[in-house]
Amino acid sequence: MKKTTLKLALLNSIMLISGLILLLFPGGVSAHGVDLTAESVNALEVIALYDSGQPLAGGQVTIYAPDDPLEPWLTGISDEEGCFVFVPDYSKPGLWEIQVRLAGHGELIRFEVTTAEEVVAGGSRGLSLLQKIVMALVIAWGALGTALYFSRRNN
Amino acid sequence: MKNNWGLKIFFVAVLLTLLILVGCATEQVVEENLPIEEVDDLGTLVFTANGEEFIREGFVCKDGWELYFSHAYVTLASISAFQTEPPFETEMGWEFTDLVQARVDLDGEHTVDLAASNADPAVVGEAASVPSGRYNAIYWEMVQATGGPAEGYVVLLTGTAEKDGAAIDFKIGLDREVAYLGGEYVGDERKGILESGGSAAVEMTFHFDHLFGDFNEDPTAEINLDALGFGPLAALAVDNSLEVDLSDLETMLIKEDYELLLAVMTHLAHVGEGHALAAFLE
Repeated sequence: MKKTTLKLALLNSIMLISGLILLLFPGGVSAHGVDLTAESVNALEVIALYDSGQPLAGGQVTIYAPDDPLEPWLTGISDEEGCFVFVPDYSKPGLWEIQVRLAGHGELIRFEVTTAEEVVAGGSRGLSLLQKIVMALVIAWGALGTALYFSRRNN
Repeated sequence: MKNNWGLKIFFVAVLLTLLILVGCATEQVVEENLPIEEVDDLGTLVFTANGEEFIREGFVCKDGWELYFSHAYVTLASISAFQTEPPFETEMGWEFTDLVQARVDLDGEHTVDLAASNADPAVVGEAASVPSGRYNAIYWEMVQATGGPAEGYVVLLTGTAEKDGAAIDFKIGLDREVAYLGGEYVGDERKGILESGGSAAVEMTFHFDHLFGDFNEDPTAEINLDALGFGPLAALAVDNSLEVDLSDLETMLIKEDYELLLAVMTHLAHVGEGHALAAFLE
């Protein structure tokens, strides 16, 4: 298993259900009543794929919160598409970790939760040598363009 | 006289670019010990190696051969565990020394038998009074043993293979040295998290199903497509006995199978279930 990605998905759950209930029963609810509320939350979608691109279906998902790296905060199973959706506890900012494992193969990915209820996926990853080389080449190309521009003006 | 500002800017830019490239081109192999700042929070770090149930209990490989291992020696050296910030991930590649906050070395050459009944996992060695924290990277080399039962080999597998009433006693020695670098342990439990006054383990894990494949997995599964299996080796047996080393295999196996075997050596090592980077040592 090679690839594990995170996708921030805004789950726009609709407030309609709870609103209708409040309109129909403004005076309160009976003993058998059901009180429903729905709210919009920022959820994360983990997508686990093999190198071949095949989804890692039925993978064991284990999530660790930053305040307790030893005990899982949440466990679950990835679906047929290799996906697992959850809502992190935004009151626990810091580096979260997700393991996805199946049949002796696994991967770990980290993401950062900020106090502003934002998620920085893969924030812990640094630049590879190739990326740095590409950056350097881009800088050189830009400088060359600048140089040619000035040279042409001088001529 | 013409003003050559453009050329001057270009040459300065090229110089800067070269400096950046030189700065990026750090060595692949870990450099010397980093100084560890004085810390009060210390603990014991145990270095372990694990061939998992496949090796200890045997398994049926992708082509139906039942494999039982009497010994599975690996010889390890230049072992170091690291605390890095941010946490090391294999996507970062070999150049990670700038991230290292603490480093613990296990000196010497260590030959361990992953097939031993008590190798769950096998203890390679330990380092006492080392900084507490999260050891989220580990580097090691698989080297030719300079003595002992696996002398001359980095991996030596002995055992029996059975299929359809046939049985082959095998002794397979590999002598090509490999360096590995892995990240944090991925598995049922967390490893490498050392609390003050406590003890924690880091693990060098070897997945021999990557070499032989797994009959219980689909034939088209990645683990089987990328594995040699035992069939090509069984075909080399004489009088139900197979005793080969890597140079024998280079001449006896077909080229594709030999190249597959070399490729397997570079993805044999893991940290738990997480893959490790690998590079042959020349």
